[in-house]
Amino acid sequence: MICPLANVEKVFDTEHGVVYQCSRQNCYWLEFQGTTTAFKISDLFLFKKRIDAIDIEAMLSESSRSYDFEIVMPFRTERCYLLNVSDILNLREILAGTKFMIQLNSEVKRCLRRGCVIA
Amino acid sequence: MKDLLKLKSSLAEEIENILNAQIKVEAHASALYLAMSSWCDDQGFDNAAAFFARQSDEERAHMLKLFKYVGDRGGRAISPEITNVPTDFESFRGVFEQTLEQEMFVTEQFNNIADVCMKSKDYVTFNFVQWFLEEQVEEEYVARRIIELFDVIGEQGTGQWEIDKHLVKVTFDEA
Ligand SMILES: [Fe+2]
Ligand SMILES: [Fe+2]
Repeated sequence: MICPLANVEKVFDTEHGVVYQCSRQNCYWLEFQGTTTAFKISDLFLFKKRIDAIDIEAMLSESSRSYDFEIVMPFRTERCYLLNVSDILNLREILAGTKFMIQLNSEVKRCLRRGCVIA
Repeated sequence: MKDLLKLKSSLAEEIENILNAQIKVEAHASALYLAMSSWCDDQGFDNAAAFFARQSDEERAHMLKLFKYVGDRGGRAISPEITNVPTDFESFRGVFEQTLEQEMFVTEQFNNIADVCMKSKDYVTFNFVQWFLEEQVEEEYVARRIIELFDVIGEQGTGQWEIDKHLVKVTFDEA
């Protein structure tokens, strides 16, 4: 659960999950598969890289049972994700949207900062 | 929404990625020159062996300079995996020709980095890579001058020994 004192704003959501930003603790909360996990920004981007790097084609073409799921345990979290192919696709969508919104926010802030100084 | 991205890093992702790619190029150059040093030593070219050992150290220093910059700007520098390091070379002359090729490749890389910096208006990094661009003038000059020794002295008789003796005297004057 997210800390009740946290000052959170929604960054991005899909029907499968949501990411909030906490501007008090400078972190992100990922709600996915009924769990909530906090990430620092660099850890969140590393997590995204890890998820994007999973070889889905291999998972689909290998018939062995051990290829049906991917286990991901991000450092500095207590989470252990057990992901099938559709989970991975859903998670990718959430993380891609989140990253885009974080970058967009940063870009907007940069423009506003300029506006403040020059105007 | 608070801008956590800028709190963490001043480097755009694209810039961080190309700098990390260059860290790998420098590390590979360092490993390549070390291999050349070993080969020259084995062939009895003492001075050339020492020359390449020194080049190898220099390339590692270049790598660390980039490494520090990425970290200083809030990015994550990646210690690279080095593969495809040759152990054998065709000839004494070939080693220096490959050196020149390697240095020209590095110059091209830095040109490209400067270009990306310019396009994304990262003049801080643009300024940082100026040092490397200048360094490349010297690197290419020295390699080219040494290759010329092979023609000037000639490899017949004690020629290779003469070349090995003289190549340490090749230096670059800026003025
Ligand atoms: Fe270099
Ligand atoms: Fe070099």
